[in-house]
Amino acid sequence: MDFDEILSGGQQELRRGTVVLACLLLLREPGYGYALLDRLRELGFVVDANTLYPLLRRLETQGMLASEWNTTEARPRKFYRISPDGERLAAELLADWTRLDASIRRLHQGDPR
Amino acid sequence: MSTLTDRYVWGVLRAVPETQRADLEPEIRALIADAVEARTAGGATEPDDAVERSVLTELGDPEALAARYTDRRLYLIGPRYYLAWKRFLLTILPIIVPLSVISVMGAKAIGGESSIGEIVGNGVWVGFMVTTQLAFWFTVAFVLIERQDLSLEDAGGWTPDRLPAVPVPGRPSIVELALSVAGLVFAAGFIVWQQVAAPIIIGGQSYPIFDPALWSFWLPWFLAVVALELVFTGVTYVAARWTWPFAVVNAVLALAFGVPAVWLITTGQLWNPAAADALKAAGFDGAIAPAGTIIAITIVVITAWDSVDGFVRAWRTSRSVSAGRA
Repeated sequence: MDFDEILSGGQQELRRGTVVLACLLLLREPGYGYALLDRLRELGFVVDANTLYPLLRRLETQGMLASEWNTTEARPRKFYRISPDGERLAAELLADWTRLDASIRRLHQGDPR
Repeated sequence: MSTLTDRYVWGVLRAVPETQRADLEPEIRALIADAVEARTAGGATEPDDAVERSVLTELGDPEALAARYTDRRLYLIGPRYYLAWKRFLLTILPIIVPLSVISVMGAKAIGGESSIGEIVGNGVWVGFMVTTQLAFWFTVAFVLIERQDLSLEDAGGWTPDRLPAVPVPGRPSIVELALSVAGLVFAAGFIVWQQVAAPIIIGGQSYPIFDPALWSFWLPWFLAVVALELVFTGVTYVAARWTWPFAVVNAVLALAFGVPAVWLITTGQLWNPAAADALKAAGFDGAIAPAGTIIAITIVVITAWDSVDGFVRAWRTSRSVSAGRA
């Protein structure tokens, strides 16, 4: 196995799970599936369409997202928005992310704590 | 005319429960339309159907997408139950398969109307059927368990108690144990059965195979030896190692069975004289002597092999133990 393969495997492991948090944060502004996918990719998240769309729907059934159909445009689109429960989840995940970041930094800088 | 998108949407919808279809259909259509639009908006260099095709290719197999929407498992037995499934099969098969093969071959042989080829063929066929049937139904059961989210803690859960014993040289495997127990039970069963069922039927009269007079001593003697062999097999299995005294006991038991058996056969005392007379009268007398010779030779070979095998095992065990100490 060459280095690039090992690297992409490691990145995949590292990024798994960040997509949920990124979606919740992005959806503080209402957005629809394809636009969200596009935005996530711009931001450097590697996510497949066939993973993201079922994920949005799951978060919706779990009550983390709310949705409504927007019919004012040429084509009806389902817009998702973060719910109050989703905000709570995002806050918890964000705190976790910050803790992990701090721990990794400490390890990197050789702080023994 | 249905487009590729229509066919894709149907491909997803037919794999989700009916109640979710109405909800999911406009969503998937919108997703595909958005993706197609985004690609053509950036200056269409491809024809429309090529864009549609590449959008659908990126979305991937509609059944996989449907499975993600409905949290369906895309495997038969997942990591949660795989080890339990494997352990069950590897425990059950080596016990059930030899037992069923031996009993079927035994029953065929006793039936007396089959050639050696038929008996062996029957055994192979039964072994194959039992293996495939067991494996199939066990797997079906586990596939259902996987989908029912039943708790299988006792069967699948792992504790340090389930650690396998380190194999000891000379210890019989579970398969060997099953084979010897089956063979011994079969031998004892045959001695009793041939008397009770009296399977030689000539001219409406049925006769036991062995001389009923032998019940005064020799047939009970064989039954007792078989019982001792059963106990001894259990002891060697539990002891988990083969020692020199075991090898001696093993040889004594083998000889206690083999020597009288061969002696009774070669001197003609084993067979029921009434059955022999009836056979002679029916013109079958030529078959008795060759059959006796074959059985006697078989018993000699098995007895000799069994006795020597015990000493070989003891020698191997002692060698590996001393090598372990060195």
